[in-house]
Amino acid sequence: MFEWLQYDFMVRALTATMVLSFSVAPVGAFLVLRRLSLAGEAMAHAIVPGIVIAFVIAGLSVTSMIVGGLTAGISVAVLTSLLARKTIIREDASLASLYLIALALGIFILSAAGSAVPLKSFLFGSILGIDNETLLLIGATATVTLVSFALILRQLITSTIDPVFYESQSNNPGLVTHWFMFLVVLNLLGAFKALGTLMAVGLMILPATAARYWVSTITSYLVLTFLFALTSCWVGLIVSFYLPEVPSGPAIVLVAGFLFFISLILAPQGLHLGRRAKSPGRGQSQNGSSPPQKSN
Amino acid sequence: MKNSVLSSTGLKLGYGDASPVVDDVSFDVARGDVFAVVGHNGSGKSTLIKTILGALPPRAGRLDWSAGKPRTIGYLGQQTEFDNRFPIRVRDLAAMGAWPGLGMLGRVDRDCQARVAAALERTGTADIADMPLHHLSAGQLQRALFARTIVQDAPLILLDEPFSAVDQTTEAALLSLIDEWSVEGRAVILVLHDLSAVLQHCTSALLLGNGRSLFGEPRETLKPGNLVDLGYMSKSQAEWMEAMYIGQGAAVDV
Repeated sequence: MFEWLQYDFMVRALTATMVLSFSVAPVGAFLVLRRLSLAGEAMAHAIVPGIVIAFVIAGLSVTSMIVGGLTAGISVAVLTSLLARKTIIREDASLASLYLIALALGIFILSAAGSAVPLKSFLFGSILGIDNETLLLIGATATVTLVSFALILRQLITSTIDPVFYESQSNNPGLVTHWFMFLVVLNLLGAFKALGTLMAVGLMILPATAARYWVSTITSYLVLTFLFALTSCWVGLIVSFYLPEVPSGPAIVLVAGFLFFISLILAPQGLHLGRRAKSPGRGQSQNGSSPPQKSN
Repeated sequence: MKNSVLSSTGLKLGYGDASPVVDDVSFDVARGDVFAVVGHNGSGKSTLIKTILGALPPRAGRLDWSAGKPRTIGYLGQQTEFDNRFPIRVRDLAAMGAWPGLGMLGRVDRDCQARVAAALERTGTADIADMPLHHLSAGQLQRALFARTIVQDAPLILLDEPFSAVDQTTEAALLSLIDEWSVEGRAVILVLHDLSAVLQHCTSALLLGNGRSLFGEPRETLKPGNLVDLGYMSKSQAEWMEAMYIGQGAAVDV
């Protein structure tokens, strides 16, 4: 039953995804809370040409991947912001246009260069791809992410709930947003080998949306997001082990998707919330005020 | 001059290179003052608040902090961008007022917890302290945000349209809190549309409109003629208001 534990690559993959779960959970949670889920998805695709160009030039080394991925990610983010400010197109449309171009460019270069890396493994991940260098990358990503969250968690919470209040209290309100987007790109790169470029963001978003249905405090939200991410990784990897034709990325994301639907149906803030809202009595406040909206 | 906190002379307000929203704004706010900012939409009320906070530089003129700009300025903005679905309890929202003073890794200690508990009591939110924000009514949320402002413990408090989504009972309770802040010696600057509240609770008023400004005692500044001249209301509205609030003895120059 546990024969997969006898394989070194499986132990590596299980260890790597456990560390990765510690890292992607808070990033995914705040992507969801800051209403940036789709921006995260777009960013995952935007880093592809950077990774591919670095790979074609320098081979599949972690350093080249980080440099290429970060360069592409930051370039797309800056260009998106520039287009949104200087032209009539809004930020979502600018980002969508740029990430589609970036993804197509990445796949085009990878195919034209006659890459030794199978396209499927590039797009959807491979547990066999987790070597010592990748383990180090994931460890470093998790360290940077967790230390960063320890330092900026309060700023992130405040700027997410009440951005206007945060701006009034901060000398450099843009810094926390930029730092957070850097962590998003870094974690996408960390998750790249195990999940592939198309599925990496799935491990961030799905455990975070599933966990949101269950909890009402930020601490419990972060813990449950981590547990859902870890469960998705480990169950997904084992499924991928028994079905060798199935890449690890989709297997992991499908398990996360299963947790999402279970949470949607069973959790107190899932579909239950809609049913409660229709029942009489909800919303009547304890101070006797479910106040009429005053016209102004 | 009484214990002045902030004064301005010939302030010109606006964004970037666009034409100024309002020109030549002069006022003085002292400790214990409740200073109302009144004006039509787009008259420069929120622009003034942003300028005082330091988020927007004045285009011309001076903003003088008599005893230096306070380290903490209490601030409660309009709730258009507030996310009440964030997973956080009322108690933690109130504690957020103390976070900037704790630094990056400082813990919420017992003293801070006691300040939060006292603020929740004062705003009538102690019994909903453990409730998540999405369960709150608009009035309860505004009380919780006032608790956060109390926890900020600031000598100057800025409130931008704090009663725009609450009922009369909640407004009265929160106005009492503002009166208490005044007695404690804090200066309060608030953007208001409710002229009766300005006349009853504020010690001074700044009327902005049509690119101009008037500053002084509320009853004098908010004379119906001024309100019409600076585009705050129509002539017929001013006549109705005069009958309702100003009384027979007030000068009417509409």
